[in-house]
Amino acid sequence: MNNTIVQCQLIDHYYSGKKALSNVNFNITAGEPIGLVGPNGAGKSTLLNILCGFLRPSSGIVTLFDQKPGSSELNGKISALPQDARLDPTFSIGEQLVFFARLQGFSHKEANNEALRVLDNVALKDSFYEKPIALSHGMAKRVSIAQALIGTPQLILLDEPTAGLDPVNTRNIRSIIAELSPDTTIIISSHDLNELGRLCQNILLLDNGIMDSIQLNTTEEDGNFIQFLTIQMNPCPATDFIGKIKLLEGVLHVSNPQKNEFIVEYNSKIEPKIDLKIINCIADNQWQYRQFSRGKTLEEKLFFENKSI
Amino acid sequence: MTPNPFNSFLLICQFELNRLFSTRKGLLYLITFSVVWCFILFYPIRIASDLLALKQNSSSGGFFFEYLGLGSLMNWKIPEFGVYWRFSLFLFPMLSIIITSDQTSSDRERGTLRFLTIRISRNGLFFGRFTGAMFIQILLIFATLLTTIGLTIYRDSSLFYDAFYSSLTIIVNLILVLLPFTAMMAALSVSVKSVRTSTTWAVLILVFLAGIIAALSSYIPSIIYLKFLIPGYQISELAKLSLWQPLQLAYIPLLQSFVLLTIGCWIMSRQNL
Repeated sequence: MNNTIVQCQLIDHYYSGKKALSNVNFNITAGEPIGLVGPNGAGKSTLLNILCGFLRPSSGIVTLFDQKPGSSELNGKISALPQDARLDPTFSIGEQLVFFARLQGFSHKEANNEALRVLDNVALKDSFYEKPIALSHGMAKRVSIAQALIGTPQLILLDEPTAGLDPVNTRNIRSIIAELSPDTTIIISSHDLNELGRLCQNILLLDNGIMDSIQLNTTEEDGNFIQFLTIQMNPCPATDFIGKIKLLEGVLHVSNPQKNEFIVEYNSKIEPKIDLKIINCIADNQWQYRQFSRGKTLEEKLFFENKSI
Repeated sequence: MTPNPFNSFLLICQFELNRLFSTRKGLLYLITFSVVWCFILFYPIRIASDLLALKQNSSSGGFFFEYLGLGSLMNWKIPEFGVYWRFSLFLFPMLSIIITSDQTSSDRERGTLRFLTIRISRNGLFFGRFTGAMFIQILLIFATLLTTIGLTIYRDSSLFYDAFYSSLTIIVNLILVLLPFTAMMAALSVSVKSVRTSTTWAVLILVFLAGIIAALSSYIPSIIYLKFLIPGYQISELAKLSLWQPLQLAYIPLLQSFVLLTIGCWIMSRQNL
């Protein structure tokens, strides 16, 4: 069933005459999290702001659940973690979260419980009575994430949810996102490609305002015999490594995009068990690998596909 | 769970009242206002009304106040309310500019409006904040009228009914006076980024716009009607009227409020947050 919840057609957006988004077209169906990536200034936040109704596109059509962004019909259906938005410093965190929950239709008592629940989710239950000014940057970010979890939104838009968070809380946010999926569709804008690689199968790539869509882990499964392995090694002589791996049957190309990282392109029809052969080769040469994974890293796929090989 | 737009609107109003009564900043404002009001009540209002009460009993009293341009004070049966009316016509609009100047500007600058507009329509937020600001002013007017009633019946307890009646007329008329000022601040607040800027613009509009329109009207005569849209245009006329008479001019603030709210609402709906 094609359950399209977001439709964007020919979106353009300009800031002071400068094009931030150019003919952006995409549809999002309900389900697994979707990553939104791109370099700084690519238009990620602009796109999320348009989807949230904070910005009006210069041209094009955007609908969420068949409604225009900002429509009151969407209240409670979508929630967002806007970039750089801060709570009112006058009121306590609890008061504001209760207020948000009440705006979403909760009774006073339910709203109170809901505020406590979402604060507990981000490990900030003790900050209920604190003012936003008492929080560190990371804690403030977690409170902002907490407000996005109020109720049962069908779509959550998260703009760099883990930027500035410590590893423990990053992991916690990742588990929250994983728990909410696929009942809630989550669009995550992030520069942390490892995180997106773990959470998302669908990636939207924005570069210079132009959108591209990438489905992860498909090339290996679609009858394409040209496959890749990414190997991270402990320090070893790169030239020797490349030379010896290239000699293995089925290996088409070996590249060294970063220090101690190698990408092996091979034909799986010629040698389906190339991974075992490579591990044997590494052992024979008394080298040590740190990580051995199928496919290319997300970073490699998105930004260096045509440069590294 | 479907949020009810009217409930959301009421919640926004209520939150604005909380801002005044349950935050340190709001309470500080209330204390300052109370001190200023006590000063106005015990000195200008009490002393002037004592003087008026004396002059009302003398034959030359009316001429004295006419001479000062304050003859309309004699139209009020209770002098305290005549003086209150005169004071409030200038005091409350000034207060209105100060206390309603930050309906949305700080929240927009901080990004807090983003948390809100994902949960309530922009129009709901705009009108909710406007109504909340009006409620706060009504409460302040109500409190000042209560103290004035207290002062009156302390002087002469038989005046309670008249004092209550005068208060009723004043509260209705003052609401009408303050509507366009609050609407102007709502519109300015959605257009500019800080409280200081919105207050500065309000002062510029009130002080210079009438002069600019008058100057331009010598070239384009029809432009003179734009003066109708400046909040407070009718205040000097209102000062001469008493009890329900000011309602004759009620169409002016209502028209001004309608135009200013429409402009504010239009800007709010198109504003980038």
